[in-house]
Amino acid sequence: MPGSQGVKVEAGVSPALCRNCKSQDKPGNLPRFAPQSTFSELGGGLDDTITNITQPITELGYFFSEVIMKKTIPILCVLLLLVVSACQTAPTALPQPTTTLASSGAIASPEANSQLPITIRYAKGFTLEYKNNYKILTVTQPWADAEQAFTYVLIPRGAEIPAEVGNALMIEVPVRSFVAMSTTYYPFLENIGKLDALVAVDDATYIYNPSVREKAASGKIAVVGGGMGGPSANVERLLELNPDVIMTSASGIPELDVYPKLQEVGLPVVINGDYLEQTPLGRAEWGIFIAAFFGLEQQASQQFDALVQRYEEVSALAANVQERVTVLTNTDYQGTWYVPAGESYAAILLKDAGAEYLWEDEPGSGALPLSFETVFERAKDADFWLNPGFAASLQDLLAMDARYAEFKAFQTGNVFNYNARVSEAGGMDYFESGVANPDVILKDLIKIFYPELLPEHTLFYYQQLR
Amino acid sequence: MPTNAPTEVTPNNSQTTPRSRTVGFGVFALLVLLLALAFVVSLSLGSVSIPLREVVRILTGEPALKESWGTIVLDFRLTKSITAVLVGAALSLAGLQMQTMFRNPLADPFILGINSGASLGVALVVLSLGTAGTALLAGLGTLGDLSLALAASVGAGLVLALILLVGQRVKNPTTLLIMGLMFGYAASALTSLLIYFSRPERIHAYTIWSYGSFSGVTWNQLRVMAPVILVGLGVAVLLTKPLNALLLGEDYARSMGLNVKHARFFILLSASLLAGTVTAFCGPIGFIGVAVPHLCRNLLRSADHKVLIPAVILVGAIAALVADAIAQLPGSQYVLPINVITSLFGAPFVIWVLIRQRRGATSFTV
Repeated sequence: MPGSQGVKVEAGVSPALCRNCKSQDKPGNLPRFAPQSTFSELGGGLDDTITNITQPITELGYFFSEVIMKKTIPILCVLLLLVVSACQTAPTALPQPTTTLASSGAIASPEANSQLPITIRYAKGFTLEYKNNYKILTVTQPWADAEQAFTYVLIPRGAEIPAEVGNALMIEVPVRSFVAMSTTYYPFLENIGKLDALVAVDDATYIYNPSVREKAASGKIAVVGGGMGGPSANVERLLELNPDVIMTSASGIPELDVYPKLQEVGLPVVINGDYLEQTPLGRAEWGIFIAAFFGLEQQASQQFDALVQRYEEVSALAANVQERVTVLTNTDYQGTWYVPAGESYAAILLKDAGAEYLWEDEPGSGALPLSFETVFERAKDADFWLNPGFAASLQDLLAMDARYAEFKAFQTGNVFNYNARVSEAGGMDYFESGVANPDVILKDLIKIFYPELLPEHTLFYYQQLR
Repeated sequence: MPTNAPTEVTPNNSQTTPRSRTVGFGVFALLVLLLALAFVVSLSLGSVSIPLREVVRILTGEPALKESWGTIVLDFRLTKSITAVLVGAALSLAGLQMQTMFRNPLADPFILGINSGASLGVALVVLSLGTAGTALLAGLGTLGDLSLALAASVGAGLVLALILLVGQRVKNPTTLLIMGLMFGYAASALTSLLIYFSRPERIHAYTIWSYGSFSGVTWNQLRVMAPVILVGLGVAVLLTKPLNALLLGEDYARSMGLNVKHARFFILLSASLLAGTVTAFCGPIGFIGVAVPHLCRNLLRSADHKVLIPAVILVGAIAALVADAIAQLPGSQYVLPINVITSLFGAPFVIWVLIRQRRGATSFTV
């Protein structure tokens, strides 16, 4: 998932914004043409061309309007009526994964359940309910500020379909084939030993995981598009693959999302909202969500408990430091410096690592578009500078903007970026396996800020820029 | 509108009467004063509040009360204000040239696709070359912070070369206009293709570039940008007479002994140089180039380029400074994209001026 802290919120929106800006810098919308009257006065070649072109067009237009339209209008009307009525009845015929929260409220007795119920503690975006012989996964936050929830009923393979399911999407578990439209799902699959079930990914270019990358390159795993911001999904290829489940993220703008189209053709598409979680542990808890499709949520839950313990142990180390270091993040871009707000994923990690993040009091979980001079004034003397965009060396930073040299952290060389693990094509492991390993990220941060607290640890995702 | 110009255009153009000339001087004195004021205001306004007295102290070389203030005023605000002045002047003048040459009130500096060429250059760097995370800088690292500007210049330059080439071959300016549009569409299509295959954070970076900004320009970049723009402005000033002749149509200009082919070449060259350089360093800046010429024609009630050229330079610079001051949202720590401000605040203002001056004025007479 490419949603870094700075880009997190914008990730889903930027294509739309981009569309607007493209139309702005286009050489001219139609009104910029000279008014039509000028054409007739031009004389010369253009005039002839225009008449030559328009002649057949008008003839064709006449043919279309007079001959075709008159005969076909009644037929068209009938066809249209048929299509409309078919569309109206279609939803009941198609598997309809979307239900409202209210309709999934059929209460079954949890005591009959053989499995220990798992409590979701940190993730705010999904719930897991145990019924007699099946489970209900509800994604309550499929995208930011969503008013719609998505419900998925997981029934054991071959079991009877429970009556109270309604029209929620039903998936037989354990699934045997899995399509991942975000790289963040790989580490969770790996944790439960199910990376082999991966049959297709959205894009092969930016994968970090060497085994997945190799399989995608050699064609053992299909590349089907449909990831956020990337090429649109190859629906035909997906239909051919006929996977048991397709997992994707969604922005809530139907035109930009892949799930409506897949839903329409009856493919089992499941929305994963991991990138919306503000807390690192909440994001990692989505491993249980993924494992549930394989019936392995117990295993994932135990792994998660161990992760929480590791995370809290390390965090406790840094909780009592006497002098907290001050931290600045990200870089300027053309005068705008996107700074993660105080309740964002990045800010929470910094807080848990015992650092004084300079914008930790700013409310919100997105990014603040600050001016360069504001950031300079506040962070000139910050002890550490983290996550400076695409930079891999101090020279890179200077090349972006010579004014960066004025920061104290730059002068003392305390600049660290999370690009220690990058594939040749630019796939960053921080955004891939980092989601599943927030304890390792936290250890990196504490090692950077207070090396004496973790003498054994060597930096994993982070590296110091030189 | 443009077609019936010849009968309408004469009221007070090249044969400026003594009276209107003195009025002109008064207006120019006022404009220069306004420009100076806007420059000082833009230096003293920003997210970080620095007292005017401190700003003056810093500018005169005295040590500031706070060390960071010195850096902010000299390295952030001064570069930004100088950039705004250059950009405003360059775009307004290029816009005026295009409107006159194509006799089209809707023409702007980018009508020939210069912008799309520059955007394509930047998109190539930001969206595709940069896939390896560091390749963007590794490949162009030796050029320092000029790499993006260079990419944009190459893109704009290619479109410019095509236009100049075509400009020498086609007789009709409208054909040239349409061809420019076509180049632009082709370049935009390639840019769209790059965006389609890019990652969200790259698209985001490209999107921010396309919003335009004066703040990204450093001293290092100004050392390249300022001379090029000054040369472009200089060439444009030398073209005052041909522009006035072209006001009355190419046939009339020809009959006055103007070498239309040469004139067109140099007008295209200077306008494209100005527009291309601005886009290369600041991103696509809209609105100013199309609005300021109209504003000046109304303000001065003249279509004479002897008056209009200095006027658009001054008004353009003022407009850019004011727009930037608003974009910085003085007092708040946030900053808005410059294109939002120019269009959002500029459009109602221009409409108001056009309506107010309608009565008894020459209004738009190109």
